[in-house]
Amino acid sequence: MIHPPVRPASGGAAVIALAVLLILVVGIGGCGVARYNGLVAGQERIDGAFSEIDNQYKRRNDLIPQLVSTIKGSTSFEESVLTQVTEARASVGRLQLPADLPTDPAAQTEYLQAQQSLGGALGRLMMVAEAYPDLKSTSGFRDLQVQVEGTENRITVARRDYIDSIRDYNTSLRKFPGNVIAGMFGMETRPQLEAATATEREVPTIDFDDAQRK
Amino acid sequence: MRVLLALVCGAWLTAVPSLAQVPANDGWVTDLAGMLSREQEQGLELLMESYKQGSTHEIALLTVPDLGGRTIERYALEVARDWGIGGEDTHNGALLVVAKAERKLRIEVGRGLEGDLPDAICGRIVRDVITPAFRSGDIPGGIRQGIVAMHSAIGGDYGPIERTARGRRHAGGLGSLFMLGFLIFVIVAGRRGRGGMGGGSVLPWLLMGSMMSRGRHSSWSGGGLGGFGGGGGFSGFGGGGGFSGGGASGGW
Repeated sequence: MIHPPVRPASGGAAVIALAVLLILVVGIGGCGVARYNGLVAGQERIDGAFSEIDNQYKRRNDLIPQLVSTIKGSTSFEESVLTQVTEARASVGRLQLPADLPTDPAAQTEYLQAQQSLGGALGRLMMVAEAYPDLKSTSGFRDLQVQVEGTENRITVARRDYIDSIRDYNTSLRKFPGNVIAGMFGMETRPQLEAATATEREVPTIDFDDAQRK
Repeated sequence: MRVLLALVCGAWLTAVPSLAQVPANDGWVTDLAGMLSREQEQGLELLMESYKQGSTHEIALLTVPDLGGRTIERYALEVARDWGIGGEDTHNGALLVVAKAERKLRIEVGRGLEGDLPDAICGRIVRDVITPAFRSGDIPGGIRQGIVAMHSAIGGDYGPIERTARGRRHAGGLGSLFMLGFLIFVIVAGRRGRGGMGGGSVLPWLLMGSMMSRGRHSSWSGGGLGGFGGGGGFSGFGGGGGFSGGGASGGW
């Protein structure tokens, strides 16, 4: 709030002009700050959304040993399908998560593809399990099946939220006041989930009840 | 200055992307598919309000004629988030969605209840409690048993509402009368005190404000003054809406 000395002779007009200028500067400045904070919050949201995806993948990972042992214990199951899942899980486990994953498209793609192939192997496993009535009728397996479905659904939700958070952030970064501020502070758009991995998979509805009725 | 700032910034605000059609909420039970009779709906709402009073968690029900092409998982999630079921910090809400045309149902569980109501338990409730009743044609019974099962899985208490349900109208009337009397007393006292302290004139308005906001949903609409004896004293969801896709689905 710097007021240069105003000569009384120039009077009201100068004061008003100054006041208008001041208001404009403060208004635009305040708006810039709000925008900047909004962009930072957007980045936080993206990072949060990504760690949620990661969380859900971990949850799925934790579920697999239990699932495999339940299946192994109850029937003579096709060994190859089980091995595929175990191997896919191991390869996911080997992946080291770099700290800046959301900003590194290559690492992100590798991570997501590994998770996706694990998801595919798991999906096949659940599908094959359909053919084993003894297994299907155990409540232990049915509980696990619901858990797998639930985890896949959570992953879908987490991915969707992540995609939304990136879209919102990138949009506000490209639009007018955002692009100026982003340029000033060196903020860049975040890479969106790639089409190959972003295809929204709906929950694999392994619907026993339908199968039973048929 | 804040007004000006808001004005300047307001022009730049982007429109919030609207969610795909989420039906308007109609209390604890939103029975768009018309699967319940009026008595059944009121009974359920009383039960749900009692859960809320007894253990603060919010269990709601939505029945829809169809899902409009969406999966029930997506639909349930969008509704649960949009309605803000569960406490703002606790997110202890759950939603049972029943889709008539698709013959699908889903229990959607808020983050705060995922520990008590894990997917496996939801799956059992859907599989062993709700679906068998639905298959035998007893949809209202299946819904009610499912809601009760969800509540007992959470291990929550029942609030006082269900027990006083019969005498509710009477009690409500007395309660409002008492409140009205108290209000008049406070206002009169405030008027008298006005000459002395400035604070005296603020107090009654504060009190009245809090009473009005409380009265809007619970005691006044329930009995004495409200006139319409609507369902279960629903006071709006807690505004949480923290759902991340937990729960279980099924079909019948």
